[in-house]
Amino acid sequence: MFSEKAKIHADACRFCWMCRHICPVGLVSGKEGNTPRGRALIVSMDSRNIPLTADAAALMYECCLCNACANDCKTGYDPTVFTREARTMAVVNGLVPPEVEKVIDRAMQGSLYAGEPDSSLRAAIERLPEKADTLVYLGDVTLHQSPEMALDLFKVLKAAGVEFTVLRDERASGAHLGDLIGYVDEVRLMSAACAQRIQETGAKKIVVLDPSDARFIKQQWGAWDLLQPDVQVITATSYVAKLLDSGRLRLRQLPYQSTTFHDPCRLARDLDETEPARRIIVAMGIPLREMFLNRKLTKCCSGAIIHQTDPALSKKIAAGRWEDAAATGADLLITACPGCRSVLGSQAPKGKLVRDIFSLLAEAC
Amino acid sequence: MEFRAFMVNMIQSELEDVVGRENVSVNEADKLTYGVDYFWVARMWADKGKKPPAPDFIVRPGSAEEVSKILKIANYYKIPVQTWGGGSGSQGSALPMAGGILLDVKRMNRLISLDEKAMTITAETGMIFQTLEWHANAKGLSIMHIPSCLTCGTVGGALAHRGIGILSTKYGKIDDQCLSMEVVLPNGDIINTLPVPKHAAGPDLNQIFIGSEGTLGVMTKASFRLVKLPEARRFRAFLFKDFVTGIEACKEIVQTVKPSIVRLFDEAETVSIIKKVLGFDKRGAFMNMAVEGNARITAIEEEIAMEICAKYGAMDLGAEYGEKWFENRITFFYPGHIMNNPQMFGTMDTISTYDNVERIYWAMKHAVEDNFPNVRFIAHCSHWYDWGTMIYDRFIMDEPPEDPEEAIRLHNQIWNAGVRAAMQNGGVINDHHGVGLKLSRLMKEQYGPAMQVFNGLKKSLDPNGIMNPYKLGL
Repeated sequence: MFSEKAKIHADACRFCWMCRHICPVGLVSGKEGNTPRGRALIVSMDSRNIPLTADAAALMYECCLCNACANDCKTGYDPTVFTREARTMAVVNGLVPPEVEKVIDRAMQGSLYAGEPDSSLRAAIERLPEKADTLVYLGDVTLHQSPEMALDLFKVLKAAGVEFTVLRDERASGAHLGDLIGYVDEVRLMSAACAQRIQETGAKKIVVLDPSDARFIKQQWGAWDLLQPDVQVITATSYVAKLLDSGRLRLRQLPYQSTTFHDPCRLARDLDETEPARRIIVAMGIPLREMFLNRKLTKCCSGAIIHQTDPALSKKIAAGRWEDAAATGADLLITACPGCRSVLGSQAPKGKLVRDIFSLLAEAC
Repeated sequence: MEFRAFMVNMIQSELEDVVGRENVSVNEADKLTYGVDYFWVARMWADKGKKPPAPDFIVRPGSAEEVSKILKIANYYKIPVQTWGGGSGSQGSALPMAGGILLDVKRMNRLISLDEKAMTITAETGMIFQTLEWHANAKGLSIMHIPSCLTCGTVGGALAHRGIGILSTKYGKIDDQCLSMEVVLPNGDIINTLPVPKHAAGPDLNQIFIGSEGTLGVMTKASFRLVKLPEARRFRAFLFKDFVTGIEACKEIVQTVKPSIVRLFDEAETVSIIKKVLGFDKRGAFMNMAVEGNARITAIEEEIAMEICAKYGAMDLGAEYGEKWFENRITFFYPGHIMNNPQMFGTMDTISTYDNVERIYWAMKHAVEDNFPNVRFIAHCSHWYDWGTMIYDRFIMDEPPEDPEEAIRLHNQIWNAGVRAAMQNGGVINDHHGVGLKLSRLMKEQYGPAMQVFNGLKKSLDPNGIMNPYKLGL
């Protein structure tokens, strides 16, 4: 049974088409079942004699949970509420598609990915002090897919004279598992274990590199009361922008002139952080050609989860975002998220390049 | 038609051969999402837990050539084909009532060209209209087709239903904005209309397919004219003592200047929806207006419109309410603002020359409110021409019958009464939502012997009658 909250949101959205134009999945697949309205209709029928099926569950897992629809809604309805809950229902009722189930199994063990985190990154972490007031939380995607981004962030922080630490055995925040199975007890327990390790370091400032983790830690951990109130959580982008503002970081001008910025959805929509990254880019002397869908209107590139559960769909969604970038004429796409870096980087058209903001900062320091 | 044994699989593999396996679906979850559009009956049916109409195959072509092949297959097997764009139509036009193939064209969403020298934009018809408008806006241009369903509907959907946008009084309807089209005929032939719509080379082919609601073929590409985004857009709102006085004033305004927006609300809508969304709480007939384009010209246009409104005794409400209406123009259509189940509701938009407007308004209001207890009737006029105006009449019933069959019966009786009142007094069956399944039965009453023209076209172009059965009276 869906919760009353999920039913209210689904019943509101089932006959409303207003946000379909910004759904990154529906736009590339053309399928009604990939629109918030389509999913809402399916969920709303569960309590009206047409129960959720495995085919319906598959559609629920094709959503990026990027919140573009909720951000667009004039009356505050949120399709991610019933979509996430439908995933919980799918798990409970054994309706999860096999390819998603494999990813869930891995996520339950703490990572979306098979294999160990990058060894050079691990070595760099070993060289950091074990305790410091500032702790950098890298996240699963960074550890496995975008280790260079972490190494570059380390260089930037060192250049600014920041003393920081990183957990040697960093655990998953629960953000990805929460997206895969809903905010259930298993996720809360995973989050609590991670929070406890962070608390044990005594760090008072947590700088979070992956916007997905940052959103989850700031919002869902907050709701679960997992961190002491005196612990400050800040995104890496905002933190570096503050270092820049305070004069601790001096940057040289970089020569890149044909660039655009892809706002990560979690950063832009969930955390309302669209300007710190732009301040940093401007400080490096890089002019931006804005995509038409920028800031809170940003279009998701598919995210780390769909990249694992449905690579073919991920490829199409990323291609959709590359089309937006191509319309600006830019050759270099900058982003501030390890997931976006990895997904967009793997789908970059010929002659186009993805750089994360920290790699540019490391070059400019 | 009932397919026996593995015949379904045979046809499915043939369709997959055209569009790829991933673009054909027969699963029930996908089918469910195509069983409800904005049509009240379809919504009510689902709300009551009844199984929505479902196609046998969902097919998502990626090009006109693929559409052509699909239609050839459909003709061979005599399978119905219902074209689906955004699925946000209010008339049930896209619903797969006859089963068969549901042709979802949203994969056909490429921008073909944006030509600043020609001032034209061409796209495939599966593109969401907002996307097309964004492409134009990025160059400082616009198609100026800004309907409330801008973000929901496709280019093809707007064309198939002869859609209209809020700026129509200055920029016209979709049929004024479309220059040319590519159409796949039911037999699979791909044709193009002439490059421009104004000529003396016989009737305009565009106008045969615009408004045909998928009954005569599938529109696959369309070109539209572009205009520069306006240098200025000035809003002004007024309150007239009553709806009839407002109509006279608005008629004089559109005869004198060229506003983009003129929306005049009757007394009932002024104290209900306008109050709810804009917070305007006075009795009378609320009107908001916009003039736009060159800044100097719009200043003069506004001044003249204000003089006309003053002559008719209107209270000048300033720019604020007009601006607020514009900002909230789509808020009206979101859950919590728009009518919703379990309410029964419908929009009986009609249009006539000025001499009949008042008569139609009262005839429809009486036909609905006098014959059906507990049904409210509200109206506004929001698309104006130098010869007449559209009347956007709506009925609302808060507590319709619980039984779905009784509800459908009552729904159709109300519609029959309202639309017949319009037609008997010089109005037409519909202004800009189309006919679809909802009004199909009334098309013969509307056209009389003229219906043979449509029947002739249908018989000639679609001899097997596969294209969107039960819709448009065809």
